[in-house]
Amino acid sequence: MTVLTIESLTKQFRGLRAIEDVTLTVERDSITSIVGPNGAGKSTLFNMVSGYLKPTSGRIEFDGHDITGMAPYRICRQGVARAFQISKPFPELSVQENVLVAASFGRAGERDAKATTTRAIDICHLTPLRDRRAGSLSIGNLRRLELARAIAARPILLLADEPCAGLNDAETRELTNVLSKIRDSGVTILLVEHDIKAVRRVSDRVVVLEAGRKIADGSATDVFSDQAVIDAYLGTAPA
Amino acid sequence: MRGFHKPISSRQWGLSALLLVGAVALPFVASPFELRLAQQILLFGGLAVAWNLLGGFTTYWSFGHAAFFGLGAFAAGLLGQQLGPEVPVALRLVLGLLFAMAVTLAAAVAVALPVLRLRGIYFAIAMLAFAQILGEVSKTFDVFQGAIGFTLPILKVPGLAKVQLFYFLFLVFLMVCIGLFVVMRRSRLGVGLTCIGQDEDTAAMLGVPTERYKLTAFVISAVLTAVGGVLYSYSLGFMTADTVFRIDISLNLILYSMVGGIGTVAGPIIGAAIMILLTQVVLGDLLDLHMLVTGAVLVAMVTLAPKGLIGLVRDMRRRREETTVEEGAAS
Repeated sequence: MTVLTIESLTKQFRGLRAIEDVTLTVERDSITSIVGPNGAGKSTLFNMVSGYLKPTSGRIEFDGHDITGMAPYRICRQGVARAFQISKPFPELSVQENVLVAASFGRAGERDAKATTTRAIDICHLTPLRDRRAGSLSIGNLRRLELARAIAARPILLLADEPCAGLNDAETRELTNVLSKIRDSGVTILLVEHDIKAVRRVSDRVVVLEAGRKIADGSATDVFSDQAVIDAYLGTAPA
Repeated sequence: MRGFHKPISSRQWGLSALLLVGAVALPFVASPFELRLAQQILLFGGLAVAWNLLGGFTTYWSFGHAAFFGLGAFAAGLLGQQLGPEVPVALRLVLGLLFAMAVTLAAAVAVALPVLRLRGIYFAIAMLAFAQILGEVSKTFDVFQGAIGFTLPILKVPGLAKVQLFYFLFLVFLMVCIGLFVVMRRSRLGVGLTCIGQDEDTAAMLGVPTERYKLTAFVISAVLTAVGGVLYSYSLGFMTADTVFRIDISLNLILYSMVGGIGTVAGPIIGAAIMILLTQVVLGDLLDLHMLVTGAVLVAMVTLAPKGLIGLVRDMRRRREETTVEEGAAS
């Protein structure tokens, strides 16, 4: 079943076409990764799906509703959550309170907020840190807090923006485990990530963008052996 | 909202009850001069708490709350003039309060819609300008009589001196402000506002209706401030633009909050008590030094204890607990 349908989406910034005629679909309970070189338009695409940017043309359909150009908070209410690369916790609140805010104001509703919070904290491996002040967390823990907060809103679709950037190998592995657990708990994930190892490990499907256009779409194995992708993004090992 | 605040402890209830009993008993033992000081602490403490309903939660620091203070006073004054002499004073006061609240509500909504789009220092400056403009308008256009002012009738209650009567009115005002602050802090609105204060964009992303919450806090804060303006003017018995549209009122509310601790309920009141006692009793004979000392205190607080006295005490307590834990772990 398709959760998100993006149809010939285009975004023009003055003279620059950041996204040009991109069409893609995201299947329910999958992890779909979007990769591509810097400036390929990954963030622009994310910003349009979450409502921070209005597309120049094209259509975004989520869960059967047209959400093209809708305000961010309304898209959030429809069931799209976003985890940012630069995590912005509420620094003076504890880990638990941070997640509780998301649970209470999100789709979970106040009644189930406590249970939702406990579950989200557990899925993201934050249970031992629940009473720590968010401002005192390391970057790896902050990223997982960002994810916990996002899923506490009980989204249907989670947009994860480079959750592995700047993490070491051990932290990356823990994070990809968390991502898989989130998917298995019934949340569809759209991931933007530069860490190809991590992408290979978690993705059910990979979409490659270059200069605003989609150049490949398929399983990780197929996509990463595609010559166009190697030329545009991966490169070849030096001889 | 559940899960964010510990329930109010019996110790806190006990302490509050004790303070209240003391506050009620005070007018029967204190001298008129002491009582006038206490009046100011109650009124301006209450106003500082009202200021914190917006500034303390969201960090939207209004530098122009005198606008609402004056607006309320003028609304009540102008209405009083329209009422015939047969209307008793107490009824005049009540009608004046209601009218002031209604006018301020409308004005606050109208101002908030553009001004709350600004953040940080831009919001502060816009509010400062708003207060200055209202003051000038009231003086310039004769219908508002800002330059001449109004004389307000004297409110009398048998058995109470005027200074006692207004002491009690200010006490009720302070309690209403405290009550609203405590209820709000513990509500969904308060939690949402606190999140706005820490990171507005994130709050919006998590589904907090930021615009509506900010507007609500702004309006409640403004209306309470207007009530303070009406009560203050009745306690003086007269008012002009210069007695209510005072920039020092706007700034003092921030100063009191900073000295005591912004975003706390006791902080602004403690700050008001300290600063009022300091400037009027300790420096009572050195009037020229008020501003100098006020400035020095402000600079000292901002550099040494940016979270105010309450924040200072909390930090010290937290540090002591942490060292005890570490020592416990070491042994």
